[in-house]
Amino acid sequence: MQEDKLRATNHYLYYPDEKNVPAYLAYGFRAIFLVFVPYILISMLLWGFVYSGLISMPFIGDILTWHVYEMLYGLVTAGTLAFLATGLPELFPGLVPLIGKRLKYVVILWLLGRISFWFMDYLGIYIVAFFNLAMLAWIIWFARFAVLDKLQRHASLGYTALFLFIVEVWYFASQAGYASTESMDILKVALGLIVILVLLALRRVNMEAINELMEDKGIDDIFLSRPPKTNLAIFSLIVFTIVEFLYPQNSALGWLGFAVAAAILGITSEYKLKDEFILNQPYVLYLGSIYVLFSLGYFMMALDLLNPDINGIKHFRHFITSGGIGLSYIVVMLIISWVHTGRKLTSNIYTHIMVMLIIVATFMRALIPFFEDYSSELYLYSSIIWSIPFFMYIKLFFGFLLNARKDGIKG
Amino acid sequence: MKFALKILKDFPAYLWSGWGAIASIFLFIAVWDMGNQIYGDLVLPSPIETFKTLSLMLQDKDVLTEINITLYRASLGFAFSLVIGSALGLLAGFFITASMMSRPIVTILVGMPPIAWIVLAMIWFGMGDETVIFTVIVASFPIMFVGALQGTRTLDGDLKDMAKSFKLPWHMKFFDVYFPHIFSYLFPAWVSGLGMAWKIVIMAELLATSDGIGASLAVARSQLDTPTALSIVVIMIVSLMFIEYIILEPIKREVELWRD
Repeated sequence: MQEDKLRATNHYLYYPDEKNVPAYLAYGFRAIFLVFVPYILISMLLWGFVYSGLISMPFIGDILTWHVYEMLYGLVTAGTLAFLATGLPELFPGLVPLIGKRLKYVVILWLLGRISFWFMDYLGIYIVAFFNLAMLAWIIWFARFAVLDKLQRHASLGYTALFLFIVEVWYFASQAGYASTESMDILKVALGLIVILVLLALRRVNMEAINELMEDKGIDDIFLSRPPKTNLAIFSLIVFTIVEFLYPQNSALGWLGFAVAAAILGITSEYKLKDEFILNQPYVLYLGSIYVLFSLGYFMMALDLLNPDINGIKHFRHFITSGGIGLSYIVVMLIISWVHTGRKLTSNIYTHIMVMLIIVATFMRALIPFFEDYSSELYLYSSIIWSIPFFMYIKLFFGFLLNARKDGIKG
Repeated sequence: MKFALKILKDFPAYLWSGWGAIASIFLFIAVWDMGNQIYGDLVLPSPIETFKTLSLMLQDKDVLTEINITLYRASLGFAFSLVIGSALGLLAGFFITASMMSRPIVTILVGMPPIAWIVLAMIWFGMGDETVIFTVIVASFPIMFVGALQGTRTLDGDLKDMAKSFKLPWHMKFFDVYFPHIFSYLFPAWVSGLGMAWKIVIMAELLATSDGIGASLAVARSQLDTPTALSIVVIMIVSLMFIEYIILEPIKREVELWRD
């Protein structure tokens, strides 16, 4: 019986001694996904209304900038919170999982950030800034174990979150008139940091998910994602982000874009194991597609920067945002929802469709510059198609989140 | 045959693992681009301009002929030094007296600057193929020789004794006991020798011939045609990288698998 136990059941040493904890608050990811996924869908709808003029938002002088802000920071805080709340007790077994009332308050804080954002007109920018910054600050406080760890094995996660916080402060300072930097330029820096955060998280998710999968299927090999390849990608990304901020149109940025694309794609070579072939495993392909989409984004941006005939950098960036980041949300949600609810990591036609739809929607959105005549249809259909996997998630996985673990273990 | 198939089977994965190297090259090109922005087109043409010139050059039949001439000289010189250097090095390694004798001679050969060889070869052979090929041989021969010598000298005595006590036939002794060890020294020497041959052939052509890409480089220099000069440099580097990373490295990996 002990041998049948899933690896992910070892995800904490201590479980808080709190009475009457409902299933949806029994572990960090549960409550977060339960609000995160509906919020994505509602916000897609709301943005549709904003862009079509059904909702007027006078506070937003520049709708696009705030849209980007919300799609980046609004969502990434929940994503990071879910990842850390699930992953940290596993990486640091002494850490007590975030559950029950504490979890409820944190999720409420995140929701307050979202609600305040949509009511910025009435509440003013300072309240919005307060709730949103408080959320990220809390995440950093929660991740302090990673930073304070003597071995510094996962400190990079904490430091990246800290930088994201600083950049968010900078963004609000710019919006409130205290900083002269263009808000959109600050958000591009934030995007670079978010991609770094995703790469750092993926390295850990890859190891857990793929080894879990191999153990399940009796594949006798071990998957190790070593830091150098990810570090090269992160180094290239940092240089790209800094140069993009300082010299957004410089041709050197194009070559750096190619470097980032190649370095990120290079991480996928880790899937070649010494003895066994795992590229036919759906989850390996799901996770690998995230890197491919990121890589494609930087490649297309680089091509744009070096070729005066191509003009669509803001569209190509969607390979990174809607594509890489969007797919990483879906894939990580799938993995966590199976494994951490006491089930085996399973792929089926629905998980394939969810991943495929994100990829299809990303291509439709990012390649608009090549199909200008159909741009309005592509805007609309790509956002609808991108939303379907989140609908499917509600239908397929909310039951898991609302009920206790299948294997009877707490959490 | 089995060995070749194994190399072919592992080749796609090996190729895919090269993305990190490609990333580093692009980072380097970005620095080059910044150099162009600081120093201007005359001193350092931009990567884009260089690659455009390169693409035009590669469509020109004359340029392809020049490349072929250089390739012919380099490969001939390299092949000669590979065969002679490796064979003599192996022989010298098996006999202590020979290795003692050859060491100072190799030091002289290594210590002699290639440019001096070119001058001597120009006097001896005049301006033509022989001068270039000779310079390539004398420059890369000592590298191969030393590699082979070291490989043989460092053979594990216990292994030798084991082979002897098992009375292994000579071919098994050579291919299964000696060869893997010697090859691990020999192969890197071949790779360095190749690099040396490729560099020397250009230098010798630049000084001693009127054809080949080295000579084209001399023409580009005299006309202050920096994009062409840089394009030639790119041709040299890309071809060297192709031979080293696409052809030699996969073989090396398979041969050295026993080390794991």
